[in-house]
Amino acid sequence: MQRGDYILKRTLFALLTVFVAVTLNFVLFRALPGDAVTGLKCHNCTIQFKTALRHDLGLDKSKWEQYVIYLKGLAHGDMGTTFISHKPVRGELWDPIKKTVAMIGLGTVFSIIFGIFTGVISAWRRGTVMDKLSVWTALAFYSVPTQWLGLMIVYFVADRVGLPHGGIQSPDYGILGNPGTYDFLVDRTEHMILPALTLGLVLYGDYTLIVRSAMLETLGEDYVLTARAKGMSNWAIVWKHGFRNAMLPVVTLIALSLGFVIGGAITIEYVFDYPGIGLAIVDAIDKRDYAFLQGAFLVLTLSVILFNFLADLLYFKLDPRVTT
Amino acid sequence: MSHVTTSAELAHDENAVEGSPDMTPGRRGFIKTTLLGQPQAIVGLVVVGVIILIAIFAPLIATYSIHEKTGPIYAPPSSAHWLGTDDGGVDMFSLMVYGSRVSLEVGFAAALVAMVIGGTVGIVSGFLGGWVDTLLMRITDIFLVIPDLVLIIVVAAIFGRHLINIIFIIGIIYWTSTARLIRAQVKSVRERVYVQRARSIGAGGNRLIFKHVLPQVAPLLIANTVLTIALAIFLETYITFLGLGDPSSISWGKLIENSFLGNAVLNDAWWAVVPPGLAVTVLILACTMVGQSMEDALNPRLKVGHLAVRRFRMRPLHGQLDSE
Amino acid sequence: MSTQPVLRTEDLHVWFDLPGNRELHAVRGVSLELRPGERMGLVGESGCGKTTAILALIGLLPGSASVAGRVYLHDEDVLAKGEETISPHRWNDIAMVFQGAMNAFNPVKTIGTQIAEPMELHGTSTGRAARAQVRELLELVGISGERADRYPHEFSGGMRQRAAIALALACQPQVLLADEPTTALDVMVQAQILELLVRLTRDLGLAMILVTHDLPIVAQVCDRAAVMYAGEIVEMGEMATIYHDPRHPYTRMLFSATPDLLGDEDVRSIPGAPPRLDREIAGCPFTPRCDSAFAPCATTHPRRLEVAPGHEALCHLNDHLVAEKPA
Repeated sequence: MQRGDYILKRTLFALLTVFVAVTLNFVLFRALPGDAVTGLKCHNCTIQFKTALRHDLGLDKSKWEQYVIYLKGLAHGDMGTTFISHKPVRGELWDPIKKTVAMIGLGTVFSIIFGIFTGVISAWRRGTVMDKLSVWTALAFYSVPTQWLGLMIVYFVADRVGLPHGGIQSPDYGILGNPGTYDFLVDRTEHMILPALTLGLVLYGDYTLIVRSAMLETLGEDYVLTARAKGMSNWAIVWKHGFRNAMLPVVTLIALSLGFVIGGAITIEYVFDYPGIGLAIVDAIDKRDYAFLQGAFLVLTLSVILFNFLADLLYFKLDPRVTT
Repeated sequence: MSHVTTSAELAHDENAVEGSPDMTPGRRGFIKTTLLGQPQAIVGLVVVGVIILIAIFAPLIATYSIHEKTGPIYAPPSSAHWLGTDDGGVDMFSLMVYGSRVSLEVGFAAALVAMVIGGTVGIVSGFLGGWVDTLLMRITDIFLVIPDLVLIIVVAAIFGRHLINIIFIIGIIYWTSTARLIRAQVKSVRERVYVQRARSIGAGGNRLIFKHVLPQVAPLLIANTVLTIALAIFLETYITFLGLGDPSSISWGKLIENSFLGNAVLNDAWWAVVPPGLAVTVLILACTMVGQSMEDALNPRLKVGHLAVRRFRMRPLHGQLDSE
Repeated sequence: MSTQPVLRTEDLHVWFDLPGNRELHAVRGVSLELRPGERMGLVGESGCGKTTAILALIGLLPGSASVAGRVYLHDEDVLAKGEETISPHRWNDIAMVFQGAMNAFNPVKTIGTQIAEPMELHGTSTGRAARAQVRELLELVGISGERADRYPHEFSGGMRQRAAIALALACQPQVLLADEPTTALDVMVQAQILELLVRLTRDLGLAMILVTHDLPIVAQVCDRAAVMYAGEIVEMGEMATIYHDPRHPYTRMLFSATPDLLGDEDVRSIPGAPPRLDREIAGCPFTPRCDSAFAPCATTHPRRLEVAPGHEALCHLNDHLVAEKPA
């Protein structure tokens, strides 16, 4: 019954955070100068017209009333209308998000696998040249400004391996008639590889260090000495005792960090002109489309909260010691 | 503690820098362990020192003015322009030299802001405990839920894109982790000192404890600040790249943005792209080296790994004749 | 009790590397014998080298250690080629219960899995047979067999200690090394564990070395005792003999410092501190703290002398007695 309690507590906490996030989202964006009407580009708009429009859109009501309307709208999945194209925000978000998730997914998988691999080896070979090299390389990639790494990859790598500089679709796609699913996948993948690689390189360093640290902690535990005494080979110890235990904090940390991956994705999409949510955000910033930004950031905040929640659940499942 | 007094532990006893943060050695010991124990700290300090010197003596080192066109657009490196020119015909080398100023300013100032706010909150929270502590920690949590980018956008929109605002926003983004760290440290120190002096303390006790808490907390605070400098510099390049930076100040981050907007890649002008990013990476790495060494000196990893990477060795007894 | 020793060491030395090309000479010529069913206590202050010595016997020293001397299991020199020769014997013939056995278990695996591990590793049994054996072992040490599927944190300290003993017995060794098996346990539980160890040595014919700094335990449980100081065995013999007729001032001071053997004293009551082991020591290492030190003590290292059959001491006070004990 205690385990059920735990899940309940974490769920309530997550929901509470969601509520706080939604409210903050509203407050922050309403504080910005300009609203749907100021962003309007109409030539002959008189002040009366704008006032009337404001009234229609409910923008002259009190902040509290607007808040309530906002909440109601959210409950129905309505995130408002963009300033620029006047389309519903929700619709505008979906497509870019799909593209971003694909690219980020690829990059994150790479960074996690590579990070865990290098972290484990580093811990195993602690103090050796390989360890030091691994750690400093990880730190170096971690310190590199993401956008610069992207630029460097575009400059020095793209042409050499025959991959596109950016975008999501080659200009000659479909030029020879109807492209099939295979062609589609190939084309998409080609455009995803470099941005995903950039993301992977920028992220992996963090994971290497986390894994290495957790492994070292674990390998110094008494039960590792016992395992050695029992006759387990180094490899078996690292895998069955070290890795399994170290993964506890590592998994939670990785799950937590996933919520923040979007920050790096924004610059990467900008550099690679990849039409995901990141590029859409940059665009919206430039055009001061606060309605869109509000919707986009709400989604992002919610995903952070979701990942935190998943991290909690995951840790809970993996560690038999957690009962309260 | 472990079963065998290994040589590492024995040697360590001489310096008596224990795992728990309460045995911070005297100030001299701390500096000694940090620097002499770890060559990377010295390397880091030298690099940062050199960059600081370059920033201070910028007018003497730069070869041209950075506010006027002194060469052709995107001219490659030559004896006249050591690092070529950018898309406005301005000398890259001089831009790099002057750029160090802004990057350093932002990094140090923002980290200072984070340290002051975070340190104060941490000390107050850890020291007073109770409802003050809970309240401050909830506020910290709220800050964590807000995506950094939102804060940046809001501040840029409401207060304008001035350098001072950027410094503050970075400081505000990073104060939370400093606060948590310091709070934990203060709490543990407070327990100890309080218990030790419980009898001898009268009314003025709190001030005495304060005088003892601060010296124990200071080294950790400094180490954390150095690491925050690295983060601040990183964030500055990010902010500038998205166009939310101060348009009138030239930092290395700005140079990266310029290279992107000026299509340096298409123009094959590597000299406009490579140097600023490289410089940022080097500076961040150097700060990380120093900060990490400090943290390691305060929390050395005493646990000896139990993996038998090297086996114990057998040797013949002195003067023992084989009876075989 | 058969008379052939199951474990015998000859002039065992252990050094640890120190930074700056120095060495710590932690074990300085330990020679002892152990017979089946015998319980030998190894006592001394912290840092005297007792744990290091038994780690050397089972070959679990770190890479910074170097070892010299001979260790015979039955008649095989198991330290001849270091790790190569000792590892086939580890756990099969000689096993250890570590200090702080509470932490000897991996918290994310069940006790049963961990006890079965060495069985499967050494090929003594697998699968269902192994699981059945694990249950038997647990029952042997006084834990209900059903608890094999529980996690370490679900066991009390005393039960974890028992489980650690069961783990050590997994491959039916002939020698059991127990390092401080009862510290951090309360007195009642201590007594139970000791009783368990006595029973096991009797019923299974196990030979045991019990390392501890707690004298009352040794007096209760052990047939013989070896007293260690500064890396050397300064006295060794039958328990009763050593207690009533100590031939080394250190042994005498230890026992007399303990007014009531059933109390909870340990060896902290002798003033002064043991010598540093990172340098050579002139004469007898106990000289500075000895109340009977005289002329030869500061300059000449005492010889190992047999003061009575089965009773040896390393002290100049016995010089007048006998010829040197044959090596």
